[in-house]
Amino acid sequence: MTRDAFEALDRLAGGLGTALLAFATLTGWVVVGAACLIGIGLPMVQPMLSVTRSVAERERVRLGRWGEHVVSPYPAARPAKGWRTDPATLRDLIWLAVHGSFGLLLGLLGIALPVMGLRDASFPLWWHLLPDGETGSSLGIPVHTWPGVMAVSLSGFVWLAISMMCSRPIARLQSLPGRRLLTPHPSVDLSERVARLTATRAGALAAHAAELRRIERALHDGAQNRLLAVVVMATAAKRALERDPATIGPALDRVQIAAEQALAELRGVVRSILPPILENKGLAGALSALATGSPIPCDLSVGQLGHLPLSVEATAYFTVAEALTNAAKHSGATRLRAEVARHGEVLQIEVEDDGVGGAWERDGSGLAGIRRRVEAHDGSLTLTSPRGGPTRMKLELPCAS
Amino acid sequence: MRIVIAEDDALLREGLVMLLGGEGFEVVAAVSNPQEFLAAVARHSPDVAVVDVRMPPTHTDEGIKAAVEARRSHPGMGVLVLSAYVEQAFATELLADGARSVGYLLKERVGQFKEFLDALKRVASGGVAIDPEVIAQLFIRRRGPLDRLTPREREVLALMAEGLGNVVIAERLQITEGAVHKHISSIFGKLDLAPTDRVSRRVTAVLRYLEG
Repeated sequence: MTRDAFEALDRLAGGLGTALLAFATLTGWVVVGAACLIGIGLPMVQPMLSVTRSVAERERVRLGRWGEHVVSPYPAARPAKGWRTDPATLRDLIWLAVHGSFGLLLGLLGIALPVMGLRDASFPLWWHLLPDGETGSSLGIPVHTWPGVMAVSLSGFVWLAISMMCSRPIARLQSLPGRRLLTPHPSVDLSERVARLTATRAGALAAHAAELRRIERALHDGAQNRLLAVVVMATAAKRALERDPATIGPALDRVQIAAEQALAELRGVVRSILPPILENKGLAGALSALATGSPIPCDLSVGQLGHLPLSVEATAYFTVAEALTNAAKHSGATRLRAEVARHGEVLQIEVEDDGVGGAWERDGSGLAGIRRRVEAHDGSLTLTSPRGGPTRMKLELPCAS
Repeated sequence: MRIVIAEDDALLREGLVMLLGGEGFEVVAAVSNPQEFLAAVARHSPDVAVVDVRMPPTHTDEGIKAAVEARRSHPGMGVLVLSAYVEQAFATELLADGARSVGYLLKERVGQFKEFLDALKRVASGGVAIDPEVIAQLFIRRRGPLDRLTPREREVLALMAEGLGNVVIAERLQITEGAVHKHISSIFGKLDLAPTDRVSRRVTAVLRYLEG
């Protein structure tokens, strides 16, 4: 409950930020509108549209960070068009007006409540420091006596209680316009989806090519070189046998070492392509093996998964493996929780730690590779990791089989 | 014979040192990267250098570049390049300065030790050694005019391209030296190449012809 309330407050603060930006942009539009009336504002319209779009994009990212994945209606490659022809721009503008006004008020209210609460609740501690005649509650009601002061303190706790109860609904209400208006219009959804699928498909091919390169490199630098060493050492052993059988020992030792290394390399490569444990024990068994092997204790719960395509299982497996590895490396967590469940045609995985948070996704990191893999399946991967923790990774994979 | 070995894989390097050292070669240096290789060549002036194609930093063709550079600074030295897979472009690059004292072999040829030693000695004494695999690839790519050759002539051409002399070719194909000579004249005639006895010029001619 308390944690939820703090999370909601954090969210409201972020919302207040974009609301202030929206308000500033809105003011800009009023000025440009007025300038248009006297005929000098037109050149400013296009830059203002760009600003509007970037503010809207910031809100999309913010909502995405809170697990509400808002698909941008703009494919990356499309240049900005005038609002008359693009319904998405018009929707952005409507959102700007709502978020810059009501959203701003909601944000201020959401933040003011706990501030007032804290001020009034602690009032008895510091009211006597104020000059006479200036003392009063947050609402400006003058108070000069101890009973009055205690009443103010009591009202502070009431404010705090209200804040605890209401900050979550307020935060949701504040993000409602964004969730409704910043997504693609239902009528354009299909064509946008096709565009997105095309993009993710290209991503899948790129991921595939990168994977092939990785495998080629691993095979060449690893197993192939080891086997060549086996050949060279075996030749040396053969020659030693011909010359002086007593000297064959070291050469044979090295043949064995090189052959064992070749096997180990091959095992590693095979495991990185498709972990054999997936085939043997299924996803549930493979994940439980991962959880058991995790250096940080991990509570794993796996629901009824039914039959899943192998590619989905592999992606799920690598995602959880990456999450556990990252947690062990960076989070400083003492406990991990992983939940795997299937809801109809969607496989949902959530991994959460109690660590320090602040995780982010670098280009070329393991996580970026996982994201490409997930997107290739038309799934989504959300990472929320506020500074101070906890880090939560949520994966949704379509798994129609 | 004094040898410098450049190979970045430690186990493989150790293996080569052990193998060649056991055969009575004097391995004066065994290094793991192109800079150390060039330094070792400058310091020891070996008779022959054995160089791996893939070396740090990018593990693509550093070995070839280093080999070409070493050949320029030490024209008398033989350079035998070993590669985990064949790449015709590498052979071309190596032969660009003239087909003398140079070899390009698949790494696993080390296992056929007698042939490997022959190739090494040939390279050290100014000859050429090209991997049969490279020749096979070239044959696949350049069909047309080669169709005019008889199967036997194609065999002779392939062995010639590897850098082998008439005596060895005769041995391999179990025919007389005179027969080899006749085949070669016929091949040069059919491919419009001027006949010559010099091994290296034969190889250059053959490779150049095959490259088109």
